[in-house]
Amino acid sequence: MASLGSFLLLAAFVIASGAFAASFAGARRRHNALILGGLGLFHVVTAIMLVASAIMVHAFVTGDFTIRYVQHYSNSAQPLFYKLASYWGGLDGSIMFWVTLLSAFGSVAVHVNRERYRLLVPWVVATIAVVEMFFLFLMVIHNNPFSTFLATIHADGEGLNPLLQNYYMAIHPPMLYIGFVGMTIPFAFGIAALASGQLDDSWLRAVRRWTMVPWLFLTVGLTLGAMWAYEELGWGGYWGWDPVENAGLLPWFTATAFLHSVMVQERRGMLKVWNISLVIVTFFLTIFGTFMTRSGVVQSVHAFGEDRELALMFTAFMIFTLAVSFGLVIYRMPLLRSRNELDSWASREAAFLANNWVLLFAAFFVLFATMFPTLSEAIRGERLTVAGPFFNKWMTPVGFVLLFLTGVGPLLAWRKSSIANMQTQFMWPALAALAVGGGMVALGVPLWASGVCFALCAWVTTTVLQEFIRGAFVRKSATGTDVLTAFIGLFTRSRRRYAGYIVHLGIVLIFLGFAGEGLNGKLQEEVGLKPGQNVVVGPYQVLFNALKVTQDPQKQMITADVTVTREGQPFARMYPARWYFVGREGEPTTEVALRRGFAHDLHLVLANFEVGSQEVHLQITINPLVNWVWFGVSVMVLGTIIALLPERAFAFATAPVPSSSVPTALILVIALALGGARVAAQHVDQPQTVILVPKTQLEKDLQGHLVCMCGGCGRKKIGECTCPMAADMRKELAGHVAGGRSRDEIVQLFIKKWGSQEVLTEPIDRGFNRLAWLLPYGVGLGGIVLVGGVAMRWSRRRGNGTTPEAPAAVAAPSALQDRLDDELRELD
Amino acid sequence: MSTRTSRAILSVLIVGTALGALLFTTMAESAAYYKEVHEVMPSPEQWYGKNMNLHGFVVDGSIEKRPNSLDYRFKVKNGDHTVTATYTGTVPDTFKDGAEVVLTGTLEPGGFQVKRNGVTAKCPSRYDPDQKAASARPVSY
Repeated sequence: MASLGSFLLLAAFVIASGAFAASFAGARRRHNALILGGLGLFHVVTAIMLVASAIMVHAFVTGDFTIRYVQHYSNSAQPLFYKLASYWGGLDGSIMFWVTLLSAFGSVAVHVNRERYRLLVPWVVATIAVVEMFFLFLMVIHNNPFSTFLATIHADGEGLNPLLQNYYMAIHPPMLYIGFVGMTIPFAFGIAALASGQLDDSWLRAVRRWTMVPWLFLTVGLTLGAMWAYEELGWGGYWGWDPVENAGLLPWFTATAFLHSVMVQERRGMLKVWNISLVIVTFFLTIFGTFMTRSGVVQSVHAFGEDRELALMFTAFMIFTLAVSFGLVIYRMPLLRSRNELDSWASREAAFLANNWVLLFAAFFVLFATMFPTLSEAIRGERLTVAGPFFNKWMTPVGFVLLFLTGVGPLLAWRKSSIANMQTQFMWPALAALAVGGGMVALGVPLWASGVCFALCAWVTTTVLQEFIRGAFVRKSATGTDVLTAFIGLFTRSRRRYAGYIVHLGIVLIFLGFAGEGLNGKLQEEVGLKPGQNVVVGPYQVLFNALKVTQDPQKQMITADVTVTREGQPFARMYPARWYFVGREGEPTTEVALRRGFAHDLHLVLANFEVGSQEVHLQITINPLVNWVWFGVSVMVLGTIIALLPERAFAFATAPVPSSSVPTALILVIALALGGARVAAQHVDQPQTVILVPKTQLEKDLQGHLVCMCGGCGRKKIGECTCPMAADMRKELAGHVAGGRSRDEIVQLFIKKWGSQEVLTEPIDRGFNRLAWLLPYGVGLGGIVLVGGVAMRWSRRRGNGTTPEAPAAVAAPSALQDRLDDELRELD
Repeated sequence: MSTRTSRAILSVLIVGTALGALLFTTMAESAAYYKEVHEVMPSPEQWYGKNMNLHGFVVDGSIEKRPNSLDYRFKVKNGDHTVTATYTGTVPDTFKDGAEVVLTGTLEPGGFQVKRNGVTAKCPSRYDPDQKAASARPVSY
């Protein structure tokens, strides 16, 4: 299997080269057969990558420890979920995962746009194929994930790092990768537009959508990383300005800038060079981020080690990318002339321009500070470093300017705002900001940075609310419906604008969370406690009861039993712990005990312990307003999804969406979001709960076989989880046992009730396990069918030279109609 | 070149210079040296009192902890040189014998004083091309 995998990677490289050559030649010579051939080869690369991934997944699931990569990052005891996550657990596999995602993303993008942007597609294919070739080349030459041991035989693997055996960490990299990979698509369209000279604004429309999707994934990926740091690393914070974190943030800044400035080009035909440059820079930064974190150029706690060869290859590729891209921009300069000039600084386009500069400065600053150690070493021969506080010092004002502009942009008119117009627009937001700012001073909140932040949050919120209210009333009088219908109607009419406002509200909430950092309520203390001793931190009294040592097959757990009272009232029983995984005793994991709240989180870490004397050291942190960051991100996600919803962002939704379905979809999304929130909120640690001793062996057995479904406890067994949900499930189980049902019957009842085998600690041996084993075969088979299908279609087209023209002729009017439809919908 | 463009370029230049100057002055305050143990220890006097990130490896068996406290004393070495470091506070999970560490703090005549939260042990991340992963690459013949 391993040699088949290696062969497939080589084949993918060869075919990707073929796709590039055919598309490039076809595009230049306007040769239809070549173009179609290139397109076919491009899809074949996707199919091959899917098959290769299936082989890799299969190797992980079956535990093929002859493959070095599998041996190093997995072992047989790991739960299935983490076996799958091990695929992207290391460098070689993550590059392969990267290429798989890129080819899949590229195939979908090309397929969706193949008729609307007929002239661009071959260039898009050629560009993506070059990027694929680079990463495939890396794998074939340097980091083959399928390389096997030559002599030694390993019975078992080393296992995934315990720190990474965390729910967030398993899904955080794929999210981030999708975000990174997705940025290749807009880049490819940009290059295609430059190369073909089709630089009217139509390419922008394709690019805008394909920027929004990866932007969304990037946002989610960054947030998941922050949540992981907060809950698993135990230093009490969520963002440490680590180079790896920064690498993800850089393209986020430039992509955000692009999503704003693209509107100026659509509306006013300005900033053409700027926009295309932003697309190029965003792509460049995704590659640069990968380079920075994988090649050891920047020292990071994430430890990548130095790899000169890899660094060289990346450098060569980056120089090539920049040279070709900006070479094309200069070559096409005559076509990139602005249609208009800036009429006034009091205009929306000026606000967007300012926002772009600030975002770009933020990206530049983060890049500079991250690279500072490397730069200083290169220039002065002396390695100098800067740390978190330096970033915070600079990024705080930058963030404030951005937040301020968030409130300004929507209020200014395009072209030029009159003084009278500005007075009516700015009155309420300014009053709200002043009122909140004054309130902050009166309450004694530190003005810098929290007070200013709160005032600016009020400023933006009022702006957004004012836009919503005015819009709804205008629409009400125009359509004669009630306000609520008119409000929802706003989203059908100009969903992008109003969805954008929702994203802005999310940003406000995130900034509320940031403001918490500067509040007086933020406390961090480290204390040593003996059993029975207590300490007062802020409003809490923390009493240490006892230290427990427990064990399960995977790990040994050292748990501190802590009772927290707040102003004399019992508040919580908390269990900060450290876990020592078998075979990885040197790397214990910190299990943070966390009580979330709207006002603040109480964050307990078991810093140190002595089993003999029962003494522990606790790190007690009170983090004000942190949860608003997570909440704000979910609002942003919601807003972005609304913006994407009715657009044909994905291939298959080509049928026209009836406008009435938009509110329905909106309500569905909101219901889903709220539903999710409800489930997650159900897990409440109630360690006071007495877990009754099971009456029968069957009951005891099943208590260890069923997991708590509250969604917040990380799938604890119901015999161990202390939340009310688990208590209910135990009661239900006891009822079934008392009723004389058999083990299988009870298991079936639970599966029926919860709708899936998710309720079981491990899937039933018969059904699901086989499915899990079948899955890779299924995916592989699907890939083969796909290869066959593409090959057949392709050969058929070749056999009959006239057919490609026929569907295109039919499709053209509908494509035109689609565009007309879009244009009309964009007018707001 | 129109006056408009030259004005724009001029203002960008002025703002850019101002920001750049600000960046460099604040950087000078916040920057710290990044040094290896063997770079510093041959002539420690010249480094006394300077902000520094010290990179090295924890000497096996050298970690001592005062009972009932969070006071640590350990030795860090790189090459042939060793320095004693003192620290009070929480150490990361990855801090142990032989760990690769970066210590933030100042060198004093009595040893290296680590600042609060100044111990960073290399996180054995999923990308760790340590010896094992390095050998996982095909050997060239």
